[in-house]
Amino acid sequence: MTDTAADLQRLAASGRVPPPEVMAARARRWGWWYYIEYWLRTAKAWAQSILIYMIGEPLLYLIALGVGLGTLVDSGVGTVDGVSYLVFVAPALLISTVVMSTGGELTYPVMAGFKWDRLYYGPHATPVTPAQIGTGHFLAVLIRFFVQAAIFWAIMVAFGAVPRGVLVSALVIPIGVLSAAAFGSLLQAYASTLTDEGYQFAFVQRFVIMPMFLFAGTFFPLSSMPIYLHWIGWISPVWHGTQLARQASYGAVESLWLTAVHVLFLVACTVIGVFWLRRSYTRRMGA
Amino acid sequence: MSVPDQPSVSKRPLLPEFPADRPLGAIYGRNARAVIERGFRVIARQNWAILVSGFFEPVLYLLAMGLGLGALVGEVRGPGGTSIPYTAYIAPALLATSAMNGAIYDSTWNVFFKLRFAKLYQAMLQTSLGPMDVALGEIFMALFRGFLYACGFMGVMLVMGLVTSPWAILMVPVALLIAVGFASVGMAVTSYLKSFQQMDVINFVMLPMFLFSATLYPIEVFPEALQWFIKAMPLWHGVELMRHLAVGFVSGATLGHALYFVVMTIFGVWFTTTRLRALFLR
Repeated sequence: MTDTAADLQRLAASGRVPPPEVMAARARRWGWWYYIEYWLRTAKAWAQSILIYMIGEPLLYLIALGVGLGTLVDSGVGTVDGVSYLVFVAPALLISTVVMSTGGELTYPVMAGFKWDRLYYGPHATPVTPAQIGTGHFLAVLIRFFVQAAIFWAIMVAFGAVPRGVLVSALVIPIGVLSAAAFGSLLQAYASTLTDEGYQFAFVQRFVIMPMFLFAGTFFPLSSMPIYLHWIGWISPVWHGTQLARQASYGAVESLWLTAVHVLFLVACTVIGVFWLRRSYTRRMGA
Repeated sequence: MSVPDQPSVSKRPLLPEFPADRPLGAIYGRNARAVIERGFRVIARQNWAILVSGFFEPVLYLLAMGLGLGALVGEVRGPGGTSIPYTAYIAPALLATSAMNGAIYDSTWNVFFKLRFAKLYQAMLQTSLGPMDVALGEIFMALFRGFLYACGFMGVMLVMGLVTSPWAILMVPVALLIAVGFASVGMAVTSYLKSFQQMDVINFVMLPMFLFSATLYPIEVFPEALQWFIKAMPLWHGVELMRHLAVGFVSGATLGHALYFVVMTIFGVWFTTTRLRALFLR
């Protein structure tokens, strides 16, 4: 018997079933949480493969780029930004991988919710509103990113890539989630406006996510690129997140106002994205 | 009594001949070009944008890693021990990788979609096509994509002044060889996969292969056991092969790397055909 069926039976047997209007009011109030719950339950089906990926990716990146490429860089210029290459690149890789995961979670699954599996239409038949469904999906994915960032951070600690100590460096976890939220909310909002799957998602992957990974100060400081390419970093959530994460992990020196700009930029993107996606879901499914 | 005008009927028989005595008669309908024709129609109608944009991936990598990282790394030891700029070091490796990526995406994600969702192959096999026609046709399409990317990337390398040897012209056919190796094996592997989650397995093999196969730095930084493992993987051979050609350091080892892909291709075509046969004919 499924959990839900058991819950319903228990509820019925308790003799304390609230009247429908109360249940509806609850759904109207907590709909977004119900959607998260639903998402997490279904995510159990592929939790194992996601988990393997979340552990495997940081290991591979840190060995291949931090240690392997690091050998080459360290013998070339010595240190980057005053630290070894591994220490330099590790926080950036954390931010990049978490932000890049939004490309998997908030593109095709969103379209599937509207079009293929039509998973959004189940909750929509209840008092749960489209805006809550959208927010629920968004927040549920952030939980996944939180776990992902935490695992990555733990592996960074194991590699000895966090000179500022374990406690302070743990700040990279919320920074990672915030960066993913900033980009993910915008991406989800955009995905929810698409009714036909053509080349859009592939284009986002190739012309937004990939360049962000390559040019937003992940592998080398923005300053080692020509000045006319710096704007790619400035408008990328990855760069802002990475700069914050570098301060948390090895104490990269930056002026206070710039740090404030990073935080503000990420928060602003998130707010705009969430606002936009709620509107878009409502527009598409009706109030 | 007048006979109404008949529409002109082609001379080709409507029903295919499947003589049991012809070699491969049971699996090959001698019509792989029908699959290829369909592939080109699809490209022309809808997905040329995806196809063309795929070319930018290695170019962006080359620009970012070559310019940005090159400033940090400086010169590195190339084949034969000569010192070459970092950009020239990674460019051939990225060409090999892009040949792999193009071929793998075409032969895995595309094939997966057609197999599980569009049921395209089931439809094809209701016609005169046999599983081997389908396999050959699809592999050809993957190859075509690899060819486009290789030519484009070679052009970029020429413009950036990274081509220093006449041997480098061989990099285009070699890219095809790499592509056909990966495409033929990739398609066979795809036939085992049933869900999107399982498709992650492909990334799981490709990402480490890309990261460790001497693409961005020499594999000598790793312990010897790991080096042997890397050397067993196909991409490393592709990278070495390309790198030798790029600087004109051609030896018996170069030929050895090429042979690796010849064997891989033969194995892959046989494997794919067997799999499709098992899938469709029971």
